[in-house]
Amino acid sequence: MISPFLRSTALGLALAGPALAADPSLDLVGPLSDYKIFVAENTAQLVSDAEAFTAAIKAGDLDKAKALFAPTRTSYERVEPIAELFSDLDVSIDARADDYEKAEQDPGFTGFHRIEYGLWSEGSTQGLEGHADRLLADIRELDSRITALTFPPEVVVGGAAVLMEEVAATKISGEEDRYSRTDLWDFDANFEGAEKIYTLFRPLIADGEADFVAKVDGNFQAVREVLAKYETPEGGFVSYEELTDSDRNILSAKVNTLAEDLATLRGKLGLG
Amino acid sequence: MRHLAPNRRAVLLALGASGLALAARAQGPVPQVSDAPAAEPRDTARRVPFHGPHQAGITTPRPENGLVASFDVVATSLDDLERMLRLLTDRARFLTEGGPVPDLDPALPPADSGLLGPVIQPDNLTITVALGASLFENRPWLAGLKPARLQRMAQFPNDALDPDLCHGDLSIQFCANHPDSTIHALRDIVKTLSEFLVLRWMVEGDVPPVLADARGATPSARNFLGFRDGSANPDSNDAALMDRIVWTTGPHEPGWAQGGSYQAVRIIRNMVERWDRTPLVEQERIFGRTKMSGAPLDNPDATEHHVPDYAADPEGRAIPHDAHIRLANPRDAESQRHLMLRRPFNYSRGVLPNGQLDQGLLFICYQADLEAGFIAVQNRLNGEPLEEYVKPVGGGYFFALPGVRDKADYLGRALVDAARRT
Ligand code: HEM
Repeated sequence: MISPFLRSTALGLALAGPALAADPSLDLVGPLSDYKIFVAENTAQLVSDAEAFTAAIKAGDLDKAKALFAPTRTSYERVEPIAELFSDLDVSIDARADDYEKAEQDPGFTGFHRIEYGLWSEGSTQGLEGHADRLLADIRELDSRITALTFPPEVVVGGAAVLMEEVAATKISGEEDRYSRTDLWDFDANFEGAEKIYTLFRPLIADGEADFVAKVDGNFQAVREVLAKYETPEGGFVSYEELTDSDRNILSAKVNTLAEDLATLRGKLGLG
Repeated sequence: MRHLAPNRRAVLLALGASGLALAARAQGPVPQVSDAPAAEPRDTARRVPFHGPHQAGITTPRPENGLVASFDVVATSLDDLERMLRLLTDRARFLTEGGPVPDLDPALPPADSGLLGPVIQPDNLTITVALGASLFENRPWLAGLKPARLQRMAQFPNDALDPDLCHGDLSIQFCANHPDSTIHALRDIVKTLSEFLVLRWMVEGDVPPVLADARGATPSARNFLGFRDGSANPDSNDAALMDRIVWTTGPHEPGWAQGGSYQAVRIIRNMVERWDRTPLVEQERIFGRTKMSGAPLDNPDATEHHVPDYAADPEGRAIPHDAHIRLANPRDAESQRHLMLRRPFNYSRGVLPNGQLDQGLLFICYQADLEAGFIAVQNRLNGEPLEEYVKPVGGGYFFALPGVRDKADYLGRALVDAARRT
């Protein structure tokens, strides 16, 4: 059997630094490498989806581009928990108009949401070709980086909570996909991405923290139940505008409670 | 200007800057800019009892700071609601009593925000919990249990309600000597009850402290229009009066609601720039009181507590018929039915898009009957001259739960028990 150290370096995992403080009886390597595979699968999917999406834009096919927008984003939103590991790309892929002084008119504004603005608010693919090229290039770059990227365990484990924080702070309000109102697709992918991390590490704490895992399991389940109400037969989601106030409140409460609970996951695993 | 005692003033005048520093050093440490302002232990250690037949924060003397937060409640079963109310009671009991916060493993997020350090001082904190009509709607397991007068706040003619500042399933009023204590308590509740409570809106306010007179008494605090506010409030120490005006009793209310109180909250913007450009006589006629002392205009040299004699002024010469106080309480035989206990705070929330100050009154009042109290009085006030200078933009109606009797009791227990029986 190869030592965990060798396994981790071979996988490009960084178990140095704070991870040394991790409870030695906990094998973090297995879940981390599984997570890395999950990310790689998603970025590969993202590349092929983005190829089709950007091709539709460049072909001037407005309807097709609109139809592909939300599904293309989901593989990105699933790996968003670790976006801080590629923050330069996260900005150009997924920034919102509010991040720029001149909002939609700002020359620096590019990526998914700039394209979304063009497709829905301006109702045209015209002028989006440059943004489409840039998006595809950024996504390819992201995918190519994953193999070499080190996945610090505290970032991965912490990522689940960070994503819930993001949802609570800037997504639940329907700011993310404000032109297309496809926010529920993103929510679903975000929850899936956070839950993936939780599920991978769950076995390490399930015995000692029965109440905790029961509560977190219950809250993920409650979120799934709410979102299921808004699914379409084609496997997508209806417009964010159809989300009722009471369901928004449930999602909001669950997301905050998940953020509260998942914030303790690092500590429970002995990660700094 | 603050009036320094003559001897201290003389010392200050006699000493140059360096002399001042020397003198200070001789007396103790010289404070640095970033040193915390020195708290008075007699303020921070003061405690308002949490247990009692009624909740604190209603007839409790109003401290300097108040905050109202309104939440939507996520509770899909009676069990959920009970868990929420028990947890809320535990937190409120701890926060108002004070004490050390638990130490956790530093690898975990700390149990407490830490705003008040390792030991929470009670600081006169009160936490008053009230329910909105929407809590009872769409929850069949609470059917028939809504307090008789509880309803969704409706728009009055002068209102410009902002939906983001209105209504809610549950309100919590936090009051304390210091704003950090109310904020700390709010943050604790938001953190520990995240599963159940989703914040809708929150407004903070305060009232200016006033130096006490020789007997230790203070006048009514001023609002942001510069007038004393509270002069004609009923005596909150008169228990029999409070039983009549403030606490719900009687067969028309559900049994569980006895001993609670209707809370009307109104976020009322004051157009302060315009007010400050209004002649003093007009300001005073709008209220019916003198600005500095608060005395009613029919006897301007009296104190603010002088009772205006409207019978002697049938033409409204001294106090116009449409003056705020005369409309709000014409002091006729009918008026006794419409009394309420007001407990407002002033708020200041930055600048509006038009460049004007966003200031106003966080109006809070309590009454045994919402319709006979707030709603009737507001209907009388509709169209008053004061409306030129004020704009209600938010708020809501709530029912403050009866008190928590002892350690075994919890907020809303009677409601939960009643729901289990039906
Ligand atoms: C920004 C809005 C308001 C301001 C600036 C304001 C100010 C005042 C002032 C200065 C007084 C005289 C002193 C006193 O007795 O407290 C007063 C009295 C009173 N106000 Fe208001 N008020 C406002 C809104 C309201 C509202 C919304 C109500 C209720 C619907 C109300 C009800 C009363 C009552 C009942 C009195 C006592 C009248 C009496 O018994 O003589 N006020 N208010």
